[in-house]
Amino acid sequence: MSATLTAKPLHELSIAEAGAALRAGQVTATALAQDALARIAALDGALNSFITVTAERALADAAAADAAFEAGSDAGPMQGVPYALKDIYDTAGIRTTCHSKLLVDNVPAADSVVAAKLKAGGGVLLGKLSTHEFALGGPSFDLPFPPARNPWNPEHIPGGSSSGSGAAVAAGLCRMAMGSDTGGSIRGPAAYCGTVGLKPTYGLVSRRGVFPLSYTLDHCGPLSWTVEDTAITMEVIAGHDPLDPASADVPAPDFRSGLDGDVTGLRIALPRHFFAQAEGVSPEVLAAIDNAASLLTKAGAIVEEVTIPDYELFNAVGRVIMFSEAFAIHEKDYRERPLDFGRLTFTRMILGATLSAADLTQAYRLRRELAVAVNHQLLKQYDAILCASALAPAARFDSMSDAFPPNWPIQTMPFNVTGNPALSMPAGFSASGLPLSVQIVGRPFDEPTVLRIGAQIEKALALTGLRPTTATLRQAA
Amino acid sequence: MSETSAADLKRELEVLLRRAEVAVPADRMDAVLAGYGDLKRMCALLRQPRTAAAEPSNTFSLVTLMKGA
Repeated sequence: MSATLTAKPLHELSIAEAGAALRAGQVTATALAQDALARIAALDGALNSFITVTAERALADAAAADAAFEAGSDAGPMQGVPYALKDIYDTAGIRTTCHSKLLVDNVPAADSVVAAKLKAGGGVLLGKLSTHEFALGGPSFDLPFPPARNPWNPEHIPGGSSSGSGAAVAAGLCRMAMGSDTGGSIRGPAAYCGTVGLKPTYGLVSRRGVFPLSYTLDHCGPLSWTVEDTAITMEVIAGHDPLDPASADVPAPDFRSGLDGDVTGLRIALPRHFFAQAEGVSPEVLAAIDNAASLLTKAGAIVEEVTIPDYELFNAVGRVIMFSEAFAIHEKDYRERPLDFGRLTFTRMILGATLSAADLTQAYRLRRELAVAVNHQLLKQYDAILCASALAPAARFDSMSDAFPPNWPIQTMPFNVTGNPALSMPAGFSASGLPLSVQIVGRPFDEPTVLRIGAQIEKALALTGLRPTTATLRQAA
Repeated sequence: MSETSAADLKRELEVLLRRAEVAVPADRMDAVLAGYGDLKRMCALLRQPRTAAAEPSNTFSLVTLMKGA
């Protein structure tokens, strides 16, 4: 069998396309893995998306997948597909650093649940990806590894904290990368790098074996190139985990059920005030959201402007909870080896030390009120919410400061506070050639409707053929 | 912010950090202080009229505790 008989370059095959080609005998898992490893070797020197490349493991996984196909055994849609993990996911025998000096030699004994599911599903692990330190502090230049850069323009940030995940998927280094999202760390990199990024419903994907930032806000989810690939990944990673205290004991939905993109009759809420009046919002982002709303209307959806509680309330709740829980996790290291944290992590996370028990309790009380407002009042009447993810294209590295929240405006925290599923996806490009995005939010455990709306926008905009050019990436390298 | 209130804010922060037994290097203090001022503003937003019956979102639940036992 020939190793490659596909019309597209291998790195441009989606998971769905690669899966079809593998099963049709048009390509081997080994060829896909070798292509990805060669691309990483050629291009990642300037992107810094990988901390650890697991070439031997990738080739072994690929050989196992090829052998399985040969034997007629099929472990599911990820079999033979190259992917990578944010370096906060535990991987047995492979270091998991959290991009930090504190864990630079940490080699877990066991896989995180997600890593184990992807392995059992026949996926091909390419390596571990850059993150902001402990999923919070970055982009930073005082850590053991350099920060990831944006493949569309390496002078610009890729967002964070799943910075390597966004950069690697956008550059075509892997088909799918797992991220984590506590205040927008999947959706931010997805928005800035022009990929699809899903923060699933809280409790739908196990967090066990993933280094926590904030127990009640942390979500695990994928970044990938297409809505369909997001659905495919969710099929493999979703499900109840009785050993994750936050795991929801509910059946996983049929993630691919809405991929036809039929939005006829769907009622979609558009809280335009929420993002249009926000500080730092770009007119290009506003136009992209309005265009998406218009496309959905033309496709048969009913899009109506609504009002929701002020963004600052969600943000205050999220920050107070995140800082409190994060500091509780890192308290010992703050006392015993504080200077091993990077500067940005140190100055941000230490704020948790200043909060009172009453502050945290008030945040939890307001959290419930906001979740009720979104779910009982708004999403009883509407199937989904269309809003902004990032409020502007990716900022330049040289515009970064110590400030927190960082000086890149983004509106993702509200749905960590409420726990609803939220998808960030491409919605166009700025005049400067950087990706623009929209965010789609659904009812708890109704990822299929979120993906249905995403599939319609993806089909209408037809942006999936546009990638950072190899010429740009090579120039950067 | 007036000079006095800025000084008060810094004193307040220093007391809280001492209570938490964490030391901040001098070159990181300005960034921490700026973040502290912002966080205090956020904490004020959390105080809203509500009754004593308004419980937090993650009230202790034995159901979630028992499922992993």
